[in-house]
Amino acid sequence: MFTHRHRHGRIYETLKEDLIPLSEMKEEQSGIIVEITGGAHAAKRLADLGLSPGAEVEVLSSTFFSGPMQIHVCGSKLIIGRGLAKKIIIKLK
Amino acid sequence: MSDEKKISIVLAGQGNTGKSAVFNYLTGLHQHIGNWAGKTIEKSEGTLFYKGFTIDVVDLPGIYSLTTLSEEEAISRDYIINQKPDFVINIVDSTNLERNLIFTLQLLELDCPVIIVLNMYDLARKKGILIDSKGLEKHFGVPVIPAVASRGAGLSKILDKVVELKDNTGSHWQPHFGKEVESCIDELIPDISDLKSKYPARWIALKLLEKDREIIDMISGINEPLVRKAAVLGKKLEDIHGHDSSVVISDERSLLSFQITRESTTYKRTMQTINERLDAITTHRISGYILMTLIIGGMFFSVFSFGNWFSGLLDTLFSNWHNWWNSFAGTSVTASLGWAAIESVLALFQIAFPYILPFYILLYLLEDWGYIARISFLMDNMMHKMGIHGKACVPFIIGLGCNVPGCMACRIMETRRERFITAVLVTMIPCSAVSVIIFGLVGKYVGIWWAMGLYLMAVAAIFAVGKISSRLMLGEPVELIMPMPDFKTPQIRTVLYQTWDSLKEFVYIASPIVIIAGVLIHAINLAGWMPAVAAVLSPVTVTWLGLPAITGILLIFGILRKELILVMLAAYLGTTDFAQVLSPQQMITLAIVSMFYVPCIATISVLWKEYGWKKAMAVCVLEIAFAIFLAGVVKRILGFVL
Repeated sequence: MFTHRHRHGRIYETLKEDLIPLSEMKEEQSGIIVEITGGAHAAKRLADLGLSPGAEVEVLSSTFFSGPMQIHVCGSKLIIGRGLAKKIIIKLK
Repeated sequence: MSDEKKISIVLAGQGNTGKSAVFNYLTGLHQHIGNWAGKTIEKSEGTLFYKGFTIDVVDLPGIYSLTTLSEEEAISRDYIINQKPDFVINIVDSTNLERNLIFTLQLLELDCPVIIVLNMYDLARKKGILIDSKGLEKHFGVPVIPAVASRGAGLSKILDKVVELKDNTGSHWQPHFGKEVESCIDELIPDISDLKSKYPARWIALKLLEKDREIIDMISGINEPLVRKAAVLGKKLEDIHGHDSSVVISDERSLLSFQITRESTTYKRTMQTINERLDAITTHRISGYILMTLIIGGMFFSVFSFGNWFSGLLDTLFSNWHNWWNSFAGTSVTASLGWAAIESVLALFQIAFPYILPFYILLYLLEDWGYIARISFLMDNMMHKMGIHGKACVPFIIGLGCNVPGCMACRIMETRRERFITAVLVTMIPCSAVSVIIFGLVGKYVGIWWAMGLYLMAVAAIFAVGKISSRLMLGEPVELIMPMPDFKTPQIRTVLYQTWDSLKEFVYIASPIVIIAGVLIHAINLAGWMPAVAAVLSPVTVTWLGLPAITGILLIFGILRKELILVMLAAYLGTTDFAQVLSPQQMITLAIVSMFYVPCIATISVLWKEYGWKKAMAVCVLEIAFAIFLAGVVKRILGFVL
């Protein structure tokens, strides 16, 4: 749609300072997934739902305190717990 | 070989794609259609006849991926590989093409004959998404059929294709990944081909690189060096990409589905629809919670008002049946036990129709509309404090109506650990029968604020038990991740099917045990053992809890149906003015015991069926101990207050 995907290698050229976990993103911010940290199990589950490096993510809304976030990825909406969101590293647009 | 005129097809797809709607439409057998992902866990089968063919249809559980992660997914993969259905019908949600194609790619890797159905084609169009189905067909080399399952549009085309291609499935396009992955596959394939396995060689190579437990175990039994070779290649991939090799392949797959989606889809900007605005309001951090309170509160208010009215109506309807039975069957012991059985069934109906039926209708209406996922979103944080996540609020809400379907709804939780913890907590939720006791006894004679206090106490107890049990149960808590469905106009037909299905399941599961227990307790009563039972229980009821000895018997009957405690108390006293025999303090104590002391017999039977008798009994014993302890402590505290 309006997303641009890169092959993995290229994204790593980005400076570390520009990267934040998805859990810290504010509403209406968007960015591109650079890396999924944490176990292969979680990363696989996420990739099956379209959350993998190169995909564009937009935060639609989040709840109070450390509740879940509603995000837009792969042309569809997902609810994701904050703990999982911490494992997704984003380069802000 | 199978019969010439027989065709077998399976329906496969991610959760929430309308797969069950297709199944219902094709077979006329009605089962659940969920608006939350991955709800159908048991396999459903059906048969239909079309153009002289007998077509067997199997509905596989809603899944995200074919790499074994959870029970349901394992079932689906095994089924496709071992049963070799003639066709795998891949139901795809057109509004979420990119995410759904990831699964489609995995199906194609399995090298089985696939037909792709682009379901909810009309919704996608409305959202401004135009999918080039012909282009997809060309790309994949398999039929791609646009459809709208809720209206049945396009579904006969599936059957036409199935019949047309019956003996002519041929091979189709195989997903190809980046060159590093492909070179690893190429190195593995010659060795795998030597195995002459029933699985496609390329697929085994992929699964070995993906570190699929099941396949590694299988291959290491035949050819250990091959597994080691795959591990070395996998390591090489990991060195290049800096990820686990299984993630590398998943990433490649999602990249591929992104590319295919981009090539085959055009977008039109559409106006912000009412539904999108509604979405923003219902998930907002302030208005979302206000709206949720209003909606759930309104739902309970209307169910209870309707239920009380209807149950009163049924009471008058059934009031003469006992006398008719006596004049017809006499008053012998057998006749009396027969009446106990009938009474149990009537009791079940009096819960099922006035309370559970309207409750289910409203619940499924909310679900089909798409609202339930919003509740999961809003409640996730609170649920996490109990070691479970947002999806658990669905069984909780159902449990407020009746614990039995509440426990059954725990199936939507991902792991056995989550499922069991949620079920235990559901048994502690005051169901409509317990609410009758709380309001009929405490609310009416002690004060409405005391009744509210009891509800607060239930919430606190559930929190505490949730915290403790999530510590005790081994295993990592699972984080919430689920697709958020768009709001859509609820389909009355879907809602009614689901309601009917759940109601049927409730009656099937509950009735045998309710009848047996009803007859058994009645027999003990007839034998004149009840005073002895009351005497045996009196150290607890009289000494510790300070209640009249008769409550021991009431609590035993309460196992059948909790509101029997109140009904039988009235029968025993010959009046409904409970203030004559119970002090406020005793009323509160009795209400607390009734709330927690044991799930009713129907709930126990569900726990038994889903988790085994050991766990069911453990829950009963612990809850009895907990209720007696808590009520006794509260009684002593109340001694100072009241």
